Amino acid sequence: MSLEQRLKVYRLTEAEYKKICLLLGREPKGVEWAIFSALWSEHCSYKSSKVHLKKFYNKNDRVLESFGENAGVIDLGEGERVAFKMESHNHPSFISPHQGAATGVGGILRDIFTMGARPIALANYLCFGEPKVEVMPHLVDGVVRGIADYGNCVGVPMVTGHTEFNASYNGNILVNAFALGYFGPEDRVFTSGARGIGNYVVYVGAKTGRDGVHGASMASESFDEKNEGKKPTVQIGDPFMEKLLIESCLEVMKEDLVESIQDMGAAGITSSSFEMAAKGKVGLNIDLQKVPMRQSGLTPEEILLSESQERMLLMCTPEKFARLKEIFNRWDLDAEVIGEVIEGSQIKIHWGAELLTELNPVDVVDHAPEYKRQYSEYKSVNKREKIAPSKFDKFTFRAAENINLCSRDWIFNQYDQRVGASTAADCSQSVGVVELPHSGRPLGIALGCRPPMMRTDIQLGAYDAIAYPSLQLSSKGLQPLAVTDCLNFGNPEKPELMTEFVASVEALSKACEAFDTPVISGNVSLYNETLDKNVTSTPATGVVGLGHSMEKVPKDEFCVEGERAFLLRCELWSGNFYSADAYNFPVEFTGDWDKEKVTQFAKDLQEYVNEFGPSTSNVVGKMGALFELMTMSQSGFSVHLDKPLADSMCAERLYEVIVTAKSGDEFKSFWQKRNVEYFDLGKVMAEPLKVDGNLVDAHWTSEPFHKQLGLE
Amino acid sequence: MGSDRKPIGILRFLGTNCDRDIWKAVQSVGLEPQWLWYQDRFDPEDYSGFVVPGGFSYGDYVRSGALASLAPVLGCLKEANEKGMPILGICNGFQILCESGLLPGALLKNESTRFIDKWVKLKRVNASPYFSSNEEINIPIAHGEGRFYCGESTLKELQDREQIWLRYSDNPNGSVDDIAGILNANKNVAGLMPHPERAMKKWMGTSDGYSFFASLADGGLQ
Amino acid sequence: MKVGVKVLPRPEVLDSQGRAVEKTLSHHQLKINQCVMGKYVVLDVDATDEKEALEQAKKITEFVLYNPLVESFEMEVI
Repeated sequence: MSLEQRLKVYRLTEAEYKKICLLLGREPKGVEWAIFSALWSEHCSYKSSKVHLKKFYNKNDRVLESFGENAGVIDLGEGERVAFKMESHNHPSFISPHQGAATGVGGILRDIFTMGARPIALANYLCFGEPKVEVMPHLVDGVVRGIADYGNCVGVPMVTGHTEFNASYNGNILVNAFALGYFGPEDRVFTSGARGIGNYVVYVGAKTGRDGVHGASMASESFDEKNEGKKPTVQIGDPFMEKLLIESCLEVMKEDLVESIQDMGAAGITSSSFEMAAKGKVGLNIDLQKVPMRQSGLTPEEILLSESQERMLLMCTPEKFARLKEIFNRWDLDAEVIGEVIEGSQIKIHWGAELLTELNPVDVVDHAPEYKRQYSEYKSVNKREKIAPSKFDKFTFRAAENINLCSRDWIFNQYDQRVGASTAADCSQSVGVVELPHSGRPLGIALGCRPPMMRTDIQLGAYDAIAYPSLQLSSKGLQPLAVTDCLNFGNPEKPELMTEFVASVEALSKACEAFDTPVISGNVSLYNETLDKNVTSTPATGVVGLGHSMEKVPKDEFCVEGERAFLLRCELWSGNFYSADAYNFPVEFTGDWDKEKVTQFAKDLQEYVNEFGPSTSNVVGKMGALFELMTMSQSGFSVHLDKPLADSMCAERLYEVIVTAKSGDEFKSFWQKRNVEYFDLGKVMAEPLKVDGNLVDAHWTSEPFHKQLGLE
Repeated sequence: MGSDRKPIGILRFLGTNCDRDIWKAVQSVGLEPQWLWYQDRFDPEDYSGFVVPGGFSYGDYVRSGALASLAPVLGCLKEANEKGMPILGICNGFQILCESGLLPGALLKNESTRFIDKWVKLKRVNASPYFSSNEEINIPIAHGEGRFYCGESTLKELQDREQIWLRYSDNPNGSVDDIAGILNANKNVAGLMPHPERAMKKWMGTSDGYSFFASLADGGLQ
Repeated sequence: MKVGVKVLPRPEVLDSQGRAVEKTLSHHQLKINQCVMGKYVVLDVDATDEKEALEQAKKITEFVLYNPLVESFEMEVI
């Protein structure tokens, strides 16, 4: 093979090749090509994004672990901690929706229990193309079934989700999975740095097959028409095996049998062994022939690159291995010693008696290329001094025609939302809430990033990706604490895309600092483009918040007769966002980020909810307050408005909250002192929504979602 | 109540995932839960009752509940049944009880072929002496294979012998005769697809599931 | 010796998977009279002749592979 061909196969540039030669002091040989190819891929090395990710606001007193580990960990007090992370599985899900989405869930769960945390909640952020695109129903159906098959079987509840449709995702869907795990007061946080000379390197879980070979470098490539041929690289997940891994790994950790542990994710055993060694600053001796194999005839290179699912790599002291193996066997799993921790700083990879390579993991992992891709300063193009407010009757009754506005219950009714018996707010609510096992406090998860906002303005959209979920948590009386993100962008080699990436990271970081919610984990997915068309820049976020009392978490919808409803308005921006998408209103907005105003509003909301315990509290989402009121009225309880008030509730304003009060006077005395406008919407009645005495049909969202996709 | 009672045995198979929820539910009514691992053998006399929790035993491979029904622990559970001890199977536990022959019928893939998670209204048709419930309750289902099926003659027997325990008000999965839960002829074995352990407190949605476990604590059984 | 075991839902039982395939096909103007979905299991057994192989396979199938209440099965030496 010529050098040129080789670089193409291993997806390395000539400059990267030269760097390898410099680091090694010679030409790479044999399996070294595969090792560098995998670990220097965009997916594993973050080579285009690393330089900007360092800008993230990522520390405060609560943060125990952040980037560099499998997931971030924060301290919740009372001995409780949680680990959480969000990750993309976009490319595999487009090629094979069912398996791609399922293994996405499997992978993110392993990142969590690898830390020693028991997974207690899942969430998912999905972006699909237009329903009329021929493959789209198949993709929606496959992704939803894949997530359901995996998450339901492992027994972790799905507590919230976000699904968007737009033409920009026609050729490249987004499938981002979020998982959160729990540490009780007795539980230790486990990390991945290899340590202890003479310790065993132990392989646990499913046997290695040929699936997923070159998966990491595939995820770093743009799609083209030839992708059909890439099917074999999609991995097959086995949630039953994952469930056994969760239980057995948590058990060996509880018995303190493990020194360090990491799952085998992208680039399989290569990335886990090199990263563990690099972090621990030790060497490893590994014999690939000892790796349990599912099929005969696997080459060393295939073993190194296999992305077979449900596998873990751990290190333990030789004395503890017998007990460790006994526990794994009790769960019907094998644990095999495949090597040991050695002095020095070399990873020696053997094939039986033959030494295949000897590499310094620091060269491969820490000296991976870092690119300063070209970008420029972001300029808002859709910002106006002032915009004309949209009118009430223009769109209200056409809402059901747009797939972005209908209920997602068809999706989330396929997910087990209550296994664990700790779910207080399920996917039907804006914030997923679970009970913390030890203290009994509520923990909330809200997802952010609204693509219509990103299309209107990158900075506004990125601020909103933190502010909106943070306000949603606050509206439930929960204090936002920390963030994970999944940055889905197009081709970073195009300066205009890199500009959007950098502007997003900077705005996200500013917003995180404002809310004091550090980014503790995340993932970057670049090259989300097909045939030169990029997806909407989509920095999806997951924000986690903590409250005081399970009984006090308000509902999204009206549910108690006799309370008084109010609209709170803390306006930073107004514009056409979802309405621009749905009704071709001009894409424009007005207003500015105001850190003090929005963070104070969040604190006031938390205080109000915790002090006065309203039954209903909900941040206005798509299409303005009247539209939100319609969705909140589907419970059978609502208010009666006059036309002028209803008209004033038709523009998309960031941010508004609809909240009830047991006493109108208490509400007023609380909010009068604050820098927030409010409107009295009247008494909540067991009646449908009326405007000027006319019934507003509140059942307009009944089942159009899957019918629009032609699904049963 | 309950403190002088023998423990409740909770069966665990590879892939069971509601075991910890049942543990909490049993504790919350003042009873002592104890694990029974699928490979264990046990003396029924050491327990006051048994729960087979939900989940995906063996990944639901072959048929849901089929592989679990062959586990050693089932042999002892059958002995407990012969002594007339109370046995409750929930969701996958119901499937396991049907597969092992402790309850009649079979549970098939939902009519929609999709997993369904939602709150359902149930009507109590006949009372179980051990697992009490109100006449109308609201508790959640979460299953992909919950369509109860039996032949016409079995159905007639179930009706005649008052073995139909719970019916759906609005059948979600295509079950024969809207059946959500059944009892054996002796009424000591009960199986249902919905999850009472997920409706123990008001913040979960309802507390309609509480009485299913509370009655194990105050029931007239030893 | 290998025995193939074909397990199919009994005709009186609603086959929800088969029905879903039928519906999908009809949406794509692909006409069929019926679709029945079951499973095919290959058992590799130690046996000296076909009769013995089939006997072993029958025993295994009746033990766990099929539920007589809702399924039927056929076997073939392959």
